[in-house]
Amino acid sequence: MPELATTLSHIVGTRYCLTRATELLAYATDALPGNRRRPRLAVMPGTRDETVAVVRALYAAGMPFVPRGAGTGLSGGALADNVVLLGLQRLRQIITIDPESRTATVEPGVVNAALSKAALPFGLHYAPDPSSQTACTIGGNLAENAGGPHCLKYGVTLNHVLAATVVLPNGEIVSLTAPSEETPAYDLLGAFVGSEGCFGVAIDITVRLTPNPEHVHTMLADFSSIDDAARATSAIIAAGILPAALELMDAATIQAVESSIYAAGYPIDAAAVLLVEVDGAADGLDDDVEAVVRICRACGARMVRSASDAIERGRLWQGRKKAFGAMGRLAPHLAVQDAVVPRSQLAPILARMAEIGTRHNVRICNVFHAGDGNLHPNIPYDAGNADESARVHAAMSEIMELCISVGGTITGEHGVGSDKLAYMERMFPGDSLDAMCRLRDAFDPERRANPGKVVPSHRCKEWHAAPGAHT
Amino acid sequence: MTLQPANTGELQTIAHDARARSTPLRLVSRGTWPAGVTGGVVASTSLDLSLFTGIVEYVPGDLTLTAGSATTISEIDAATAAHNQWCPLLPWGDDGGSLGATFATATTGPCARSLGTPRDVAIGVQFVDGTGALARGGGRVVKNVAGFDLTRLMVGSWGTLGAITEISIRLRARPVVDESWTLYFTPGDIAAQSRLAALRRGPLAPLASEILTTAHAAALGFPRASALIRLGGNTAFVAAARAAMREIGRTEPCDTTVWSRYRALDPHPRAVTANAFADPLSRRIKMLFDPAHVWNRFECGTGAEGKS
Ligand SMILES: Cc1cc2nc3c(=O)[nH]c(=O)nc-3n(C[C@H](O)[C@H](O)[C@H](O)COP(=O)(O)OP(=O)(O)OC[C@H]3O[C@@H](n4cnc5c(N)ncnc54)[C@H](O)[C@@H]3O)c2cc1C
Repeated sequence: MPELATTLSHIVGTRYCLTRATELLAYATDALPGNRRRPRLAVMPGTRDETVAVVRALYAAGMPFVPRGAGTGLSGGALADNVVLLGLQRLRQIITIDPESRTATVEPGVVNAALSKAALPFGLHYAPDPSSQTACTIGGNLAENAGGPHCLKYGVTLNHVLAATVVLPNGEIVSLTAPSEETPAYDLLGAFVGSEGCFGVAIDITVRLTPNPEHVHTMLADFSSIDDAARATSAIIAAGILPAALELMDAATIQAVESSIYAAGYPIDAAAVLLVEVDGAADGLDDDVEAVVRICRACGARMVRSASDAIERGRLWQGRKKAFGAMGRLAPHLAVQDAVVPRSQLAPILARMAEIGTRHNVRICNVFHAGDGNLHPNIPYDAGNADESARVHAAMSEIMELCISVGGTITGEHGVGSDKLAYMERMFPGDSLDAMCRLRDAFDPERRANPGKVVPSHRCKEWHAAPGAHT
Repeated sequence: MTLQPANTGELQTIAHDARARSTPLRLVSRGTWPAGVTGGVVASTSLDLSLFTGIVEYVPGDLTLTAGSATTISEIDAATAAHNQWCPLLPWGDDGGSLGATFATATTGPCARSLGTPRDVAIGVQFVDGTGALARGGGRVVKNVAGFDLTRLMVGSWGTLGAITEISIRLRARPVVDESWTLYFTPGDIAAQSRLAALRRGPLAPLASEILTTAHAAALGFPRASALIRLGGNTAFVAAARAAMREIGRTEPCDTTVWSRYRALDPHPRAVTANAFADPLSRRIKMLFDPAHVWNRFECGTGAEGKS
């Protein structure tokens, strides 16, 4: 081990190879509270070349490692349990922005919002907008296939990534591109997106930039029952309107936001609000606005108010984007979920979730991407209280079972990481899990990159590749 | 010889046998594909997948649909049209072709730029691979990151890793107004061409816009037409888009059925080439999913070099 530390220090400089317990403390958690794993050491290369050299040194040493961006992940994906943590946050160069082709090539440590800021002078932005966008990195987004409020209309990370250069865990460098129709190829890029650090390290990423919409109209619809808000959501989608974003916040969330520094002016007596945004060409936008207002009212909205200017719009969005943070102030820990359910079933699912919460005596705060059916029932709690922890855990697994039973999925954007490993066996039969392991084995036959995440290890058959698979 | 499995169990048995005996298989779904596209496959045994057909689940309110891979594009179109929705792919080729072949070959269509490509539209797949495993990736909801992405792996794999048996897709609402136009400008008119390019890049972008070759224009009965345009959206949007389109050149309305005729001409032929699937990473994937190298063996490629 000391030898490896010496080798790595040689590559990145001693300052960026951390071995002391106190220094490593900062890397023992991601944004999922309550999980703590100490890395054996942390190495932070400053350039792409250094990154390649580090990966090759780890290969030579046979050492498992965990890539890490900003550590804002919500599934324990960036935790390194006594293995090497490979921090990529120093790689924050925007390599090129090409307004003509509307693309940008960036290093993985570039912060999501920094890219949109850099594209602004060209009237462009990077569309996937996770609520953590002021902190999370493009590399982390790629690895998680991150979403965000505006992914309802614009699509998730997968739909915006055009190419990536990846160092495979054996040090090989491969360029992955979205296949074009004329030249058939496996969609290796598509397979890499969302691979949660288990397939290798992305060292540069080319993404599509999206023109800023000509016009944006943001509405806040106020409901006296969450059931009505959910029905309005389903009705808007079923009517064929494609809002840029359609987010739901319940009373618990509204109260948490309104009593924080992010107070957005949400009605504190509402049972739920919908934040609905439509955007696009000026022509035709009014018709969409009218339709949204009509549907919300027909479903029982007490009021639908429109943001009158950019400042008000920013304020409405800030409340939504900082809702997790506001909830985090309610208790020392926050249990976070990310299930997706069919959009026509939102109202009955929310009602059953409320019943589960009451039965286990836990406080569920709902704030989620309603238009996609992507739920985030979060529960603030104190992990030090064994009884409360047990109740939160029981409620969470009941909610997960419920979402799976209606044909939903266990995660829509946060990833499986280590947090949802156990649910993978509920979601997929053994053969599917094994097929996933084989896909991983093509990229990382030694299974050294982010070991033990995403697919439970006992579900991966032993190395069954034919001879020559290493070529 | 032709094998025609009736269910996934029979398909798995065929896959096991083919692996054990190293019998090359040619995958056939609806069999409508032009020989030029699939002709490269060398195999004396055909694997007929046409019994994996029919819509399994369609909940209009969710805008999602799950169907057997041999379900035809026209069946999907008819079922969804009844609810004013569509599968936005409208792929190149004959509408008697199958959903499975469309995704296996990642075939797009004229609306791909505005509405998405197969990799954007697929939300889940079920397949039997070359090891005989019945596996599933993704699911039936529109957003899903559970597990490594077998859906993206299968889309565009050209049947070289196994057979897709079922696919889940996202649908879209049909636009309130959907109108088609022929656009006429002089062939060398650079200004008109750049105005068309600007329209396509701008906020009033058409659903589809295709520059026609002389031969295609003639085949469609528009001898001198330069481009085919499809505008979609609500009334006010389409009115503005129509006005912008008329700045480019002379226009004439045409029936929307022109698109299925144009797609059937298959104006963008594609085929597996010698170096497709031949890079080291693709060869490792091939070996892990089809170790005996028997599924859709293309004469020119699929990493025959990597065969064990
Ligand atoms: C308040 C809050 C709100 C959030 N809102 C959203 C949201 O709206 N939508 C959403 O999708 N997520 C959301 N998240 C989750 C999180 O921000 C995203 O998953 C984000 O993409 C993680 O980026 P990161 O840089 O922090 O990655 P990390 O947490 O550091 O890492 C995440 C995973 O990516 C891998 N990884 C990181 N960089 C690389 C690389 N270069 N190459 C290969 N693998 C790599 C890691 O190994 C790990 O498995 C939110 C989180 C918080 C705290």
